Amino acid sequence: MNTFAMARPQSIGQASELARDRRWTLPVLKAGGMDLLDHMKEGLSEPDLLIDVRKLARQGARMAGDRVEIGAGMTLGEIARDPTIVGQAPVLAQSARSAATPQVRNVASAAGNLLQRPRCWYYRGVEFHCLKKGGGKCYALHGENKYHAIFGGDPCYIVHPSNLAPALVVLDGTVKIEGAGEREVALADLFHLPSEDLRTEHGVRTGEVVTSITFGTAPKSGFYAIKEKQSFDWPLVFACVALEMEGTRIGSARVCAGAVAPVPWRLGNVEKALVGVDVGDEEALKKACAVAGEGAEPMTQNAYKVRLLGVAVRRAVRVAAEGGE
Amino acid sequence: MPGIERPTMNRPGNLGQTLNDDTSRLDAVAKVTGAAKFSRDRYELDELLFACFVRCPYGSAELESYDAEAARAVPGVLEVEITGGEGKYQGQPVGTVVAESKTALRRALRALAPQWRMRQSISGVEEGAGEAPMTEPGPAKLLEESDLVLDATYSTSVQTHSPFETHGGVVHHRGDRAVAYISTQGVQAAADGLDRELDLKRADIDVRCEYIGGGFGSKLNGAGKEGALAAQVSTKYMRPVMVFTDRYEDHLDTGNRPSLLARVRLAYGRDGTIEGGHIHTWGGVGVARGGGGAVVPSGRYGFGQLQRTHEDVQMNTGALRAFRAPGRPQGSFVEELVIDEIALGSGQDPVELRLRLTEDPDFHAMLQEGAERIGWDRRAASGEQNGTVRRGFGCGTSSWGRYPARAEAEVVVHRDGSVEARTGTQDIGTGMRTVAGVLASYHLGVPIDAVRVAIGRSGLPPGPASGGSMTSHNVAPAMKQAAEDAKRLVLQAVGERTGRATDAMDIAGGEVLENGEAVMGWREACKLLPSDTVVGRGEWSGQRGPSERVGEGNSKGAQFVELTVDTETGVVRVERVVAIQSCGVVVCRKTAENQIIGGVTQGLSYALFEEKRMDRATGSMVNPNLEMYKIIGTGDMPHIEPVLWLKEQTGVRSLGEPPTIPTAGATACAVFNAIGAPVRSLPMTPDKVLAALEGGGA
Repeated sequence: MNTFAMARPQSIGQASELARDRRWTLPVLKAGGMDLLDHMKEGLSEPDLLIDVRKLARQGARMAGDRVEIGAGMTLGEIARDPTIVGQAPVLAQSARSAATPQVRNVASAAGNLLQRPRCWYYRGVEFHCLKKGGGKCYALHGENKYHAIFGGDPCYIVHPSNLAPALVVLDGTVKIEGAGEREVALADLFHLPSEDLRTEHGVRTGEVVTSITFGTAPKSGFYAIKEKQSFDWPLVFACVALEMEGTRIGSARVCAGAVAPVPWRLGNVEKALVGVDVGDEEALKKACAVAGEGAEPMTQNAYKVRLLGVAVRRAVRVAAEGGE
Repeated sequence: MPGIERPTMNRPGNLGQTLNDDTSRLDAVAKVTGAAKFSRDRYELDELLFACFVRCPYGSAELESYDAEAARAVPGVLEVEITGGEGKYQGQPVGTVVAESKTALRRALRALAPQWRMRQSISGVEEGAGEAPMTEPGPAKLLEESDLVLDATYSTSVQTHSPFETHGGVVHHRGDRAVAYISTQGVQAAADGLDRELDLKRADIDVRCEYIGGGFGSKLNGAGKEGALAAQVSTKYMRPVMVFTDRYEDHLDTGNRPSLLARVRLAYGRDGTIEGGHIHTWGGVGVARGGGGAVVPSGRYGFGQLQRTHEDVQMNTGALRAFRAPGRPQGSFVEELVIDEIALGSGQDPVELRLRLTEDPDFHAMLQEGAERIGWDRRAASGEQNGTVRRGFGCGTSSWGRYPARAEAEVVVHRDGSVEARTGTQDIGTGMRTVAGVLASYHLGVPIDAVRVAIGRSGLPPGPASGGSMTSHNVAPAMKQAAEDAKRLVLQAVGERTGRATDAMDIAGGEVLENGEAVMGWREACKLLPSDTVVGRGEWSGQRGPSERVGEGNSKGAQFVELTVDTETGVVRVERVVAIQSCGVVVCRKTAENQIIGGVTQGLSYALFEEKRMDRATGSMVNPNLEMYKIIGTGDMPHIEPVLWLKEQTGVRSLGEPPTIPTAGATACAVFNAIGAPVRSLPMTPDKVLAALEGGGA
């Protein structure tokens, strides 16, 4: 690991200033430091200044009108346990609880979870000078792509790793970004495909800090992940669903999948197909969710994920429909 | 961990015994509090230096250029040496770096900026496998004429050695002597190997490995190349030197269980009897010369007129090493699944069929006992279930020989009543320290609390290496003899000082008995010793008597697995494992059960998760970490019931390796039973399970 200085700014403003301070070659924000530590250990990143924002933006969940606002520094563990989130936005609490391990969840921050870099083993491996690192090819395309994207990959087949982001997408979430001024960005607009910009995954710029996250309530919302290992594993596929129910029928649905594309993958076709479906009608539900895989472009080793996607969505719908009961 | 039942072990009719039922590991507190010092913990040594290897990052590559000057210029770097110009596998050492800190080592490796020209490489056994040889006329005729033929291909992944404590050691040359803290499965062999590097006599080298953070065969090669490098550098600088692999290096260059590809063609009868055929296997040995064979058939079941051929396939990957029951888990996976496929093909119950394929009364008894314990009567016929989540049952068997090794032991009794049991073996996690203590305590007749155990040092009376499951049963006779010798010396002293008849006395439960009556406490007796200490000695030649036939000392086992398969997701959840295991006399029940639980756990991890995945284009591993090289975790631990089988056995027998042999095979059979389609490839991950369900094979 390289030597680095560490700063503990007392305010977001100070943190932002430090991040733009040109005396440092690579100043980097650190909250929980989970992904940062991985990057530094693996030699993927060599920051000379860590700006510790762990104690900033720590406010817990509070109602702001009909929406919920949380500090971006809230940990996954806190999100998983928070009674407001558990009650008003169970999909978010469930997505937080499903991530990593208790140890990681007690340290990892919400913003860090959203902005972490992809887990693609070619990106993470120093041997592979891949597109994302400025190299000439995506090794996954004709290589080991079992865990890679089935949607939106071209030309880099990473999957978006955050558990929280798809949950926040179905909750119509926004993030507040401070630094050079202040702006609100919808979760759905925060991330971009590799075809837009290969080297980055999101639009938070140097000197900017995500300070809070706001999202709508959806007591009928749910999360379902399919994993190889039942503890401490990245999902093969997961789905987040928020429902408006009309009796036992689905009035409207918001559906977003994770681990299938380089960004949280909104499934508009499933949302349409779910309208009017009686959640007690397993066959109708199955049919509606089966469209989830439409348009998928699997590679040599990941076609099974197309099938898993429909299953994950259907099970998430069921979790959502049972929410709050 | 979910609850682990302690089933009644002493069933009616058992003739065996357990020497100790309730002693916990003697080093449990030291291990959980951190008081136990592992070789990798030895950072406290003054003037500690660090060294590491420069390694090839690709399957095959030529080193085109590097900047040794830049690497040497990194502060804290003492030496940078490039000794090779090419690499034939990822992780192959091509040079060394010596530095004052681990950070400096890493920076030097970065500054060295080696440029490699990649060449074509072979990283999978399928790529390098030759044609299977022709089937001989006899078996060929059987295959041609039989109505019922199983013709299938099976494969297993490479399982890397991933012990908690990685590979290496700290060596300190002090001029006329040296101390070497090596993470090793053989302190004696480690000392043997270091004399040349250190230019010292064997007696002047003190190898210490009091604790080791796991060793499953990869730490059997003495001090290893890491220990040798530490010794060379220490000899040069006369400073302590630490060389330990990191997790990345561990996956690449410290050995593995080789991958297996098996082509099976078997003719069988309507009653499931195997008539014969041809099994050809390919073993992916990496850059090793050989050793990729799989034990299939095991000899436990009749396979009729069978032709058995094998090819070791060399590849551009790290060499295999011994791995807990080498060749067995992969062989068992093929054998047990083959039997279950034949059972389905002939309409037989898998347990019934096994009873027909073996005549061994032990396996008969174990299979029947296991079937009862798991609830085999709840098993639906394969392929008969329709629900989303389907339940499966499977079973498998194991056997393991009793390998001889020389062992010496001492039991030192001090005048204050304290006792030290000494033998130069080591405890790789099997509980050997506790076993040695229990043996001394039992045969001397004093409570276990009075006994301190000294193991893990080369200067102790030589004990066996921890390989082949041979420490307990070879140390047992030596320690017994040493304890009995010590008892004799104590009683002799008591006799001389009190006038009692020595041969009328005994020691039991911490008391001296005369004609069965307690006459004196242990500590009181020890005060009568003629010198500060008396030393009882024991020696075991490793040779058994001529009356003992080969195979008589076998440890045997049978395991039963109950699991569910989610047919929509392909996820396998193992719920219960009943693991019946014989090991002769049980020295220490808790550590014995723990060995069984550990063997099952490692077997499940192999069955469901572990896989070294290679990028074909570069010959580089894509998951050289413990994040994407997946090892079973708490969420997948089933309820494991270890059943120690004491029936009609004498002597201490092997236990370390046998319990990991049948687990993967039994699990594969249970998956097959649940979904009605075999998953013929390990690990049985959801993608393969779904493929099998779709009829595409896996």
